[in-house]
Amino acid sequence: MSSKIIIGQYVPSNSVIHRLDPRVKLVTVFLFVIFVFFANNTLSYGWLSVFAITSALLTKINLKYIIRGLTPIWFLVIFTFLLHLFVTHEGQILFQIFGLPIYSGALIQGGAISLRFFLLILMTSLMTLTTTPIEITDAIELLLHPLKKIKFPVHELALMMSISLRFIPTLMQETEKISKAQASRGVDFKTGPLKERIQAVVPLLIPLFVGAFKRAEELAMAMEARGYQGGEGRTKLRELSIRRLDWSAMLVFLVVIIGLFLFRQ
Amino acid sequence: MNKRTTRSSQLLKLIILSLFGTIAMVLLFLNFPLPFLPPYLKVDFGDVPTLLAALIFSPMAGVIVQLIKNVLYLIFTGAADPVGVLGNFVAGVTFVVPVALFYHRFKGNKSLIPGLVIGALIMVISMGFLNYFVLLPIYSAIMGWGDMSSQAMLSTILVGIVPFNLIKCLIISTLFIPLFVKLKPWIKQKQALFN
Repeated sequence: MSSKIIIGQYVPSNSVIHRLDPRVKLVTVFLFVIFVFFANNTLSYGWLSVFAITSALLTKINLKYIIRGLTPIWFLVIFTFLLHLFVTHEGQILFQIFGLPIYSGALIQGGAISLRFFLLILMTSLMTLTTTPIEITDAIELLLHPLKKIKFPVHELALMMSISLRFIPTLMQETEKISKAQASRGVDFKTGPLKERIQAVVPLLIPLFVGAFKRAEELAMAMEARGYQGGEGRTKLRELSIRRLDWSAMLVFLVVIIGLFLFRQ
Repeated sequence: MNKRTTRSSQLLKLIILSLFGTIAMVLLFLNFPLPFLPPYLKVDFGDVPTLLAALIFSPMAGVIVQLIKNVLYLIFTGAADPVGVLGNFVAGVTFVVPVALFYHRFKGNKSLIPGLVIGALIMVISMGFLNYFVLLPIYSAIMGWGDMSSQAMLSTILVGIVPFNLIKCLIISTLFIPLFVKLKPWIKQKQALFN
C-alpha cells in the first residue's frame, strides 16, 4: 500500500487558496460542480476555464503535480471525446479517418464535454490538494451545525470522522504488518483459486478487528480520564473564522457566476 | 472487565464504529477487478466491517460505518467519482441492513446464511432500480451520452450490474461466513460489555 493514501492528496503550502476557510472552499467547489453544467458556449466555457486555471495557479502547487494527480481520469476524458467524435453526426464532414467521417459538430461537442469533465475534476482535486482532511471534517461539522436543531448528532459524527482520520495511518501500517506476518507463515494472497484467495483474507481481518477493539477501549478510557463528556460546552483547538480573504473569494466567485449567466446563451 | 456505565459504553461504541469505518476504508484499497467484468466494477472487502458492526451492535451501526467509509473515501480520493461512492453506500446499506435485521430477529449461526441470501437479493434488486432511475441517468448527463434509452439502460443493468452485485455478495459472504464463525465467541464476550 502506498504512502499516497496515507496523506491523502494534501500538499502543504501557504498560498492564498490554502489559507482560505475550508467552509468557503467546500461550498465554492460544490456550487462550481453544479454551475459548470450551465455553460453552453465558447465564451461561458472559456470564462469558467479561466477561473479554474487561475485558481490552480494560485495554489502555487507545481502544475505538473496537479496534472499527474489527474492521470486516472485522463482515460475517461479521452474515451468520452472519442465516443463523441465517432457517434455524433452534426455539422459538416471535416475529414475521414479509416473511412469514418468526422463531423465538425462532433469535434465541438466532444471537446465541450471533455472540458466540462476536466473542469469538474480539476476543481474538486484543488479542494483536496489544498485542504487537510481534518479541515474538511471541521468544515463539514460547522456546515451541518444547523441540523442539530432536528436532533441530528452532528458532534458525534464529526468526532467519529476525526477519530477515523487519525487512525488511517495506524491501521494501514497494522494491515501491512499483519499481512507480512501471515505471508511469512505461508498465507498466499496472490495465487491459487479465487475462493482460497478470498479466504486467505480471514487471518488478516481477525487480528485487525480484535486490535481495533483493544485500541478503542484504550482510547475511550483515555478520553474519559481527561473528562470527555460529549459535545456540550466543548472547546476547539482549531477555530475557523471567515476573514477578509474569504469574503473577497466569495465575491470573486459571485462575479464568476454572474459572468457565466451573462455569457451563456 | 467491570460493567460500564451507559455513557462510557456509548463512547466506546462510538470509537469502535469509527475504527471499523477506518478499517473499511483501508480495505477499499485492497480491491481486485474480476477478470471477466469491466475494470470500473471492482470488488472490495469494504463491506465486511460494516456487516460485522451491524451484527455486533445494530443495523444502524452498520449504516454509520458505511457512511464513515464512504465519506473518508470521498475526502481522500479528491471526490473524483461521487456518483460511484453514492452507489457503494446504498449497495452496502441495502445488503447489510436486511442481514442484520434477520440475524437479530432469529439469533444463532443458522440464521446468518438465509440472512445473507435475503440481503443479497434485496441489494441486487434495489441497486438495479437505483441504477435505472438515478445513477445511469446522472452518468449519462455528466458524460453527455445524451439520454440513454431505457432499452440500453436495462441491458446495461441486466448484463453488467446485476451479475456484478451478485458476485460481490457471493465474495463477501465467502469471506464473511468463516470470519464470523471464528469470531463468534469473541463477539459474544464483547457484546456482553454493552448489554
